[in-house]
Amino acid sequence: MPTRPSDSEVTTTRPTKIPKMEDSIDVVSASTATAPIPSYRPDAKERRYDRQLRLWASSGQKSLEQARVLLVGCNATGCQSLKNLVLPGISHFTILTDAKTTAQDVATNFFLHPESLGQNVADEAVKYLKELNPAVEGVANVQDPATLLKSEPDFFTSFTLALCCDVDPDLELSIADLLWQHSSTPGNRDVPLMSIRNSGFIGRISIQLREHCVIDTHPDSTHTLRIDQPFPELETYARSLDLDSMDSMEHSHIPYLVLLVRALCDWRDAHEGQAPSFEFRDEFKETLRKGKHKYDEENFDEAIGQAFKCWNTSEIPYEVESLLSRDNVKNITASSHNLHILLHTLGIYLQSHPLPPISPSLPDMHSSTESYITLQNMYKRQYQSDLAEYKSVLDKVLDSVGLPSGAVPVTEIESFVKNSGGVDIVNGSPLSAQRDVKGLTREAINEHFADPESENHLAIAEHLAILAAERYRTKHSIWPGTTSDTTADCQILEESIKEMSGLTALPGMAKEAIVEVVRGGFSSLPTTAAFIGGLVAQEAIKLVTDQYSPLDNTVIVDLVKSTTTAFKL
Amino acid sequence: MGANGLANGSSSLSGSNGLNGESSKRYASYLANSNRYEAVDRMLDRRGPWTDEQFVGGSEAKAFLRQKAKILVIGAGGLGCEILQNLALTGFSDIHVIDMDTIDISNLNRQFLFRESDVGKSKALCAADFIMSRVPGVKVTPYHGKIQDHAPDFYMQFAIIIAGLDSISARRWINATLVNMVDEENEDSLKPLIDGGTEGFKGQARVILPTITSCYECSIDMLTPPTVFPVCTIANTPRLPEHCIEWASVLEWPKTFKDKKLDTDDPEHIEWLYQKATARAAMFKIEGVTWQLTQGVVKNIIPAIASTNAIIAASCCNEAFKIATTCAPYLNNYMMYTGNSSIYTYTFEHGKRDECPVCGGEASLVRISKDWTLEQLVEHLKEAQEFKLSRPSLSSESGPLFWYDPPGIYEATKGNLDKLVFDLLGPEGGAVSVTDKALPAANLSLEIQFE
Ligand SMILES: [Zn+2]
Repeated sequence: MPTRPSDSEVTTTRPTKIPKMEDSIDVVSASTATAPIPSYRPDAKERRYDRQLRLWASSGQKSLEQARVLLVGCNATGCQSLKNLVLPGISHFTILTDAKTTAQDVATNFFLHPESLGQNVADEAVKYLKELNPAVEGVANVQDPATLLKSEPDFFTSFTLALCCDVDPDLELSIADLLWQHSSTPGNRDVPLMSIRNSGFIGRISIQLREHCVIDTHPDSTHTLRIDQPFPELETYARSLDLDSMDSMEHSHIPYLVLLVRALCDWRDAHEGQAPSFEFRDEFKETLRKGKHKYDEENFDEAIGQAFKCWNTSEIPYEVESLLSRDNVKNITASSHNLHILLHTLGIYLQSHPLPPISPSLPDMHSSTESYITLQNMYKRQYQSDLAEYKSVLDKVLDSVGLPSGAVPVTEIESFVKNSGGVDIVNGSPLSAQRDVKGLTREAINEHFADPESENHLAIAEHLAILAAERYRTKHSIWPGTTSDTTADCQILEESIKEMSGLTALPGMAKEAIVEVVRGGFSSLPTTAAFIGGLVAQEAIKLVTDQYSPLDNTVIVDLVKSTTTAFKL
Repeated sequence: MGANGLANGSSSLSGSNGLNGESSKRYASYLANSNRYEAVDRMLDRRGPWTDEQFVGGSEAKAFLRQKAKILVIGAGGLGCEILQNLALTGFSDIHVIDMDTIDISNLNRQFLFRESDVGKSKALCAADFIMSRVPGVKVTPYHGKIQDHAPDFYMQFAIIIAGLDSISARRWINATLVNMVDEENEDSLKPLIDGGTEGFKGQARVILPTITSCYECSIDMLTPPTVFPVCTIANTPRLPEHCIEWASVLEWPKTFKDKKLDTDDPEHIEWLYQKATARAAMFKIEGVTWQLTQGVVKNIIPAIASTNAIIAASCCNEAFKIATTCAPYLNNYMMYTGNSSIYTYTFEHGKRDECPVCGGEASLVRISKDWTLEQLVEHLKEAQEFKLSRPSLSSESGPLFWYDPPGIYEATKGNLDKLVFDLLGPEGGAVSVTDKALPAANLSLEIQFE
């Protein structure tokens, strides 16, 4: 669960009584520091951003501080999204719209004021959003977006990311097409686009991106212990221990990892080189249990608990393997993304190694300091040696595509080699394809919409209702639900969905989804705006920092049911 | 208080004197526009497909929301700032907020009602001022202090209570207080509690109807246990940088400073710990002690960002809106959100726990060894995940076994701590009732049996 105790409670959970241990070392001698230690106390900026640096570190922060975000349209949802990006410190935002502030805008958008009424809404919102963080630059562009798209398309491609909030469906598709064309041109940076719609309690976010490389998904664990395939130094060390003649203190502080490697070696020696298979698990655990000198040796208990690692074979992770088989990883050029080059190199490395380079990180385990540090250093040495080999392969790869050694920064190489299981590549699709009733949308209709039992049934129904509403808007120039005759609007959307889906009768909750979508009249309920604004910013941060896996590629928010449903179109 | 947001105008309706003619006209024209709440009105004038049959909507629902519904926000921090914003825009006009904290620079990356010039000021006061300056017609009443300083009467005045807290003890306290307040004869005594919490990219929102749905205490065993390092590891076999930091704060600080309490907000104190921990790490060849890590370990810092707070606070306020107006069914009763990989929510009904000390009625069975002393039982109640008490006082059917307070009973019963529970209760064990300040006015019933 996400909640953790407060500061005040932690003090009470800390042990208050210190048991006197006979084998304790002299703590006084431990505190006699020698040379003065530099402080590295955080500066004002680090203190301001402290709580977020603990999530995406200075590398993520640096990317954030270079990000330029464009918001087209200026409703409550768009401004809430920007608020959550200005606070953590993006470089720049521009709000593009020629709209004037209405009373409805003021009532739903916290970043407007009654005095904003009738003024350019972009000017007003920029003014109030900028107050949130003096380090962020904010600009209002009060031109008509459609005109600007024709006269100055480069304006749109000059951003890191574009958000479209409540933008006319046709205009939105034109902007999306422009960005897709731009991103598909070799040598150009990908400019992802997020399309945002909301109506009352219902909302939808769609992401268009060409390809997104995640350099750190932040997996739960980055350890690659490989107990089943110990590297030579580890095996030699484990074999060298004279377990029987050790004193009890030493014996009860051998790290469980070493105990397992040793037990595995002993087992193999006694079984013609065969590792224990799953069927022999009890027998194997019994040999560990017999090795105890005293019944309460915690390190042996840990070893028994982790014994499954001896018969679970370490393999190249499935996700890594599938990344290696991608065309743009197999075939690289001088302009390939660094992650493609690093993965390509890993593919070659794996031709002569059974597994990717080992990670230097170790979990904590019951052990003496000395044994633990000894073990940690062995893993670090192995990592350094794997890294050196990997780098020599990389140099050849770089050379083969005409890049100098050093074309990929050392920090990137090291972070990849330490955590090659923690990368990901997301393939996107153009917004126009997501809006067509073909391909994945067709599949979603057949699989989830036509089947009221499907767990995504309602979410797909809501998506189709929004899609039908967008077509309505294009045809009638207003959104459904904006006049008092909502029944007629529902009727029109029903017919539209029948036509899209090819179904003659609407299944399950489809009619209900339509009624709820029409009810809101595509206005911004402040709570829905804040909810979606939070999600948009979260995904924007992931896209900008290349950390954590982003939404791929659509989510429906239903705040009647208090649910979100993500799917790919 | 709070010059923030006032740069270009008034702080409330009454403060509009300073406006120039043009903006004053715009202000008046905004207030004159009866259609300005269109977005919210649509939800109240129109019935949704899942709206309850009892829903009347229209002017009655609007009047309750905008004139009658008095709502309390507990916490004016990361969640609190967002909650206040959302409630004000949704139409709640009588909002009260309570928080004992003052503003720190590390709050500014998400607590968006505060500015650098507000550092050191009261969160509750500052937040209330800001909301009133931005949203006309909303009254926010701030309380700078602890929730425990208010009697049940205080909580009785509200229609709904929303908690955006980072403290488990405060949550347990308000939960137990609201459950105890329920009087079956008086419908108004049942106060819906909406609770939000976040950590990094994760969070949860839940609706608690005291005595009817599962309460906060019912799910206390779902909390991640805090990382506690064994003292012998800290003292003798450190392996991680965290072990060295704990050594400095838990062992070295009290030894060096005797009576001076460690203040984790004082950078000089953190500096001292950092220096000590670094020296110790160097001696043991342990890498990775940094200033940030030192601060993180001793303050138990939880990563926090604006976007997660926005999502969870919005969910809490959305439930408050639905409860106050019945325009849509409210959450039954738990939504979990995880954003570190794509977007994922899990919405489910968390069940009541029969042996919940706050809302259940049944005794918890505790099986202990015959050689346990009463002190061991007391320690168990402090540590076990399903109890997590801080200062439990225990009584058997024949009277106090051990009480922390008042001093007279403490003196009279402390001798029992060394005695065996087996001897105190007899070979069959028996019922033990426990009180603790974590659970105001609630009794935890235990049924002790021997193994
Ligand atoms: Zn309960």
